[in-house]
Amino acid sequence: MNSGTEIDTVAVNPLTLEERADLEESLKRCSEETRNAVFEFRETGRVGLLPGIVIGLIERFLEPEVRPQLRSSDDSIRLVDDLRIDSLTMMEIVVLVEEALDISIDNQELRDLRTLDDVSCFIDAKTKGLPLPQRGRLFGIEAIGAAVPHRPPFLFLNEARVEKDTAIGTYTITGEEDFLGGHFPGNPIMPASIMLEALGQLAVFHLVTTQKNGTGSVVDSSKVLFTSVEAVRCQRICLPGETLTLRIKLKHMRHPLAMFEGKITVNGESAAWAEEISLTFDWVGVPGAH
Amino acid sequence: MARVFITGLGYICSIGNDQETVVHNLRNLKHGMALFPPVNVPDSPVRVVAPVREFEVDSLDQEDWTYPARYKIRRQTIRSFSPHVLYAYCSLLQAIENAELKEVDISNKETGIYTASGGSIRFIYHHLRRMEKRGVMRCNPLNIISSIAGTLSFNLVSHFKIQGASTGFASACASSGHAMGFAYDEIQRGRQKRMFVVGAEDCNFESVVPFCGMRALSLSLVPDRASRPFDQTRDGFVSSGGAVTVVLESEEEVERRGVPVYGEMVGWGQASDGHNVAISHPEGRGLESAMLRALGDAGIQPAQVEYINAHAPSTPIGDRSEVQAIRRVFNPGETRPMISSTKALTGHGLSLSSVLEAALCLSAQRQGFVPGSAHIQQLMSEAEGLNIIRQTVNATPTYILSNSSGFGGANTSLVFRHV
Repeated sequence: MNSGTEIDTVAVNPLTLEERADLEESLKRCSEETRNAVFEFRETGRVGLLPGIVIGLIERFLEPEVRPQLRSSDDSIRLVDDLRIDSLTMMEIVVLVEEALDISIDNQELRDLRTLDDVSCFIDAKTKGLPLPQRGRLFGIEAIGAAVPHRPPFLFLNEARVEKDTAIGTYTITGEEDFLGGHFPGNPIMPASIMLEALGQLAVFHLVTTQKNGTGSVVDSSKVLFTSVEAVRCQRICLPGETLTLRIKLKHMRHPLAMFEGKITVNGESAAWAEEISLTFDWVGVPGAH
Repeated sequence: MARVFITGLGYICSIGNDQETVVHNLRNLKHGMALFPPVNVPDSPVRVVAPVREFEVDSLDQEDWTYPARYKIRRQTIRSFSPHVLYAYCSLLQAIENAELKEVDISNKETGIYTASGGSIRFIYHHLRRMEKRGVMRCNPLNIISSIAGTLSFNLVSHFKIQGASTGFASACASSGHAMGFAYDEIQRGRQKRMFVVGAEDCNFESVVPFCGMRALSLSLVPDRASRPFDQTRDGFVSSGGAVTVVLESEEEVERRGVPVYGEMVGWGQASDGHNVAISHPEGRGLESAMLRALGDAGIQPAQVEYINAHAPSTPIGDRSEVQAIRRVFNPGETRPMISSTKALTGHGLSLSSVLEAALCLSAQRQGFVPGSAHIQQLMSEAEGLNIIRQTVNATPTYILSNSSGFGGANTSLVFRHV
């Protein structure tokens, strides 16, 4: 949960008896804990209640078999892909959230809410009346392909969202990847080396889309090369049909070296982690500087 | 032209929620009327309705509903239903089972669905009330999908993954007659191999009471006598709801699948009165034309028809119009087909009625009986000389005609042949 501010409580309009009855009716399928938290929030305005409320309201709309996933996963769990929330259910959630917290959410804002983290940060800002968190830009496969030198069949990103020091991307293992025929015959498992490669590609994409030097030069995508990786752990096998959520964080950067931390999850479960992925890079228009 | 057979039926109606119960009640003339608590309000004079049993669908929240345990429906499916969509969903499942259809037979480009309902006035009304009270953006996101007249098609097409023809018909009490007729045309012309025809209506305060103002409903307080088509003292129809599904298939499909058939649909006709928004033509001119066209389409003479399932809703004007139309079509040749109105038993299911009555004809034909016209104490004078049967007759008519008439003077007539 993004709590970049010191606000503990917000002003709330007290519920009339009629509103309270309506709200009780609307919340009747939520857990008792969630209902109590909503009414406490509507009395006290205590923002610490919000994360639990948001999860409770979303949970009410989930099919029973995916509910445990919401509780056990981290904030990166995706509403549509992982929790199978379709756009109509999203609308139902929005109407209930609006009613429970007395806020309004418009269509554009709704479109940007993809993960539980997106929702939590958004609602936190909204109830506090703060500017909405600026989420990084989301890039699709075409935009990624235009920025990095990698191409299918050796591009392992489907989409990516880039922020100042971090990037988050996804790759869905289709099962059609050539190497799965040999890794292993009749038992396709995503190679750990390719998972590291995917993190590396996300790091390259982050570098070329965010970094500039003092004279305004950007990173030359044809001059980013892998140099080393330290401390790698793989915690889970990844299979065709699964979606890898890739995260990198820029730890240190000094020309010509950039170091990232990387992490992969599937449905919120840790799959792989790399403490330090190092890349060398150069700026556009600096011949032979490497 | 492809021949068209009926291979499956599914019933959720006032006289039963499965075919066996419906046939038993039909043969024994057991009606489905009851004093209906939801309409028991001080300013409404109506008390008797033909409700659907075993479904508790009064709540505006679908997750509160209860229905027979054999149907298991997920939240993401039922959330876009209004009550009649639930009935329809269940009737369609029954018909699929009855016709022995596999999933691959249902979801393909050669299989379509035609539906008939007036939508859910109850849901429209309450959704708009919520919008007024809580604001435009706090409407239930599924309020339109669940309530407008197309809701049957929206829900059934998506849940059963129908890929062929689909549309809905809105000609009030002739709606599902039109759906049957055009579904027959689709198969006959080779555009589809199989069609589901589904008619359905809610049965609740909002679906019944609005008819009071036009003085169309029976004000009887006696469930055993309230619906009495062709009776001299008939005083209006008894409202009903529910759903029926009929499966129509081409001869080729019937042979390929090797399934038994109920009968063959051999023609249909429609014509309009061009007379009044609500009242049928006093001499039944539109219905007369519809019957003549149906006979012409089937290529048979009036004398070949052995049973007419009349529209006859038990209203003073409607029954009289139909009796005159039947007399003009059948009596010049002195033929006397058996006539009955099963609305004496089922009540009047509006958009549902035509497909319900077609199904009742087919179920009875297979079992070798013709249902009597119940609750007549004194036959209406205009019907003298017609062969209106008051008791169930053991017989298997070769040709059956089933009539329907709707508001605005829309009339349909369907012809079925025993095979």
